[in-house]
Amino acid sequence: MEGNVNHNRVDVKEIGLVLLDIGAILMSSGANTTRIRTTISRISEAFGYSTELLVTHRAIMLSVTDSAHHSFFSSLKRTSPHGVNFKVVSGISRMSWRIVEEQWDVEQIKVELTRLESIPQYPRILILLLVSLAGSSFCRLFGGHVIEMGIVFIASFAGLLIRQETIKRNFNPYLCVYFGAVTASLISGLSVKLGWGSTPETALATSVLFLVPGVPLINIFIDLLDGNLMNGTLRGINGLIISFSIALGLLTAMIIYQI
Amino acid sequence: MTMEWWLLVEKGIWFGLASLGFAILFNVPPRTLLLIMVLALIGGMTREIMLHFGIHVILGTFAGATIIGLLSVGTSHLKHTPPLVFSIPAVIPMVPGVLAYRTMLGFIKLASEHIDTSVSQTLAETTSNGLKMTFILMALAVGVSVPMLISRKETFKYLFEPRKDSDKN
Repeated sequence: MEGNVNHNRVDVKEIGLVLLDIGAILMSSGANTTRIRTTISRISEAFGYSTELLVTHRAIMLSVTDSAHHSFFSSLKRTSPHGVNFKVVSGISRMSWRIVEEQWDVEQIKVELTRLESIPQYPRILILLLVSLAGSSFCRLFGGHVIEMGIVFIASFAGLLIRQETIKRNFNPYLCVYFGAVTASLISGLSVKLGWGSTPETALATSVLFLVPGVPLINIFIDLLDGNLMNGTLRGINGLIISFSIALGLLTAMIIYQI
Repeated sequence: MTMEWWLLVEKGIWFGLASLGFAILFNVPPRTLLLIMVLALIGGMTREIMLHFGIHVILGTFAGATIIGLLSVGTSHLKHTPPLVFSIPAVIPMVPGVLAYRTMLGFIKLASEHIDTSVSQTLAETTSNGLKMTFILMALAVGVSVPMLISRKETFKYLFEPRKDSDKN
């Protein structure tokens, strides 16, 4: 415990605020509730404090106490949905172990958090191309052929482009999904209307799959299995609204083309 | 038989490519990309083999996801990254997208149609698709968490290397 005694000189408020930041970043980056809880407990224990957490979909609340209950810190932070970012989740996990093993101080954590948040995403064109290729792969897996795969590629590319642009312009996130779905299904729906390829329905069904919220959907059940029923349910409703936005986009295209 | 194996490998490659796109979308660290593709290929091929032998799609998906979950523990040690960073992008190609699409279409149809004989068929199909989709999603999530569930551990950091004395506290 010698290391921890040393660590205990860190002010409870300082460590509490950093922990709150870490929790909020993890929640925005698509970590599940248990991961947030264990990461925060691990870091606070390294500093000789114990932490109780309340994690919800849009806010995190924590109380930090030292073992002798001399000092106490409690605060609340809003978390904003940013979209999945596994570089951050992975980076924070690595950092939490280094805090334990190398006995980092709070300054080092702050520097590392700033670094993690400023790591750039993959180049935009690479994201667009590979996600479109993933769409084509889906199409192939569901029995499509070359023509359908090509159509899905173009549809996914355009759909993702529109979604990224609308996100940039701060539209409602569900509306962004809707815009992406409309764009993609208008393009793939055209091939159904004109009867291109042997299984045009596959193209229509798989062109919107890049919008399927995979991480939230899996996190629903991981949270439910861990007993975080409230978070699981909230994630479920979020996933449901996204799915309905996708369906609504498809429906719009189908009504326009009368298919 | 050789033709079937080739088809299987081809499907595996598409599973890998589909997971690559989503891995990039989820912004995973570059060092994990190749292993994610390999995991997706193995998991996807497991499911295809099981489907080929007439095993139900829910069970097949569960087997594929479980294998991905178990392997992700090993890869997480190799690359010092949480297992979920590997396993979630790798199972994404198995997400029942077309079933979700058909379920949604079914809902829309049920909402717009007049009550006649075709309604009961639409209702049956939609319910079946929706339930299948839900169970497949559950199979994916449970399969991915199998290592955590059976080992009852919150971390696998000390699975292969003994805990250092200084860490024991």
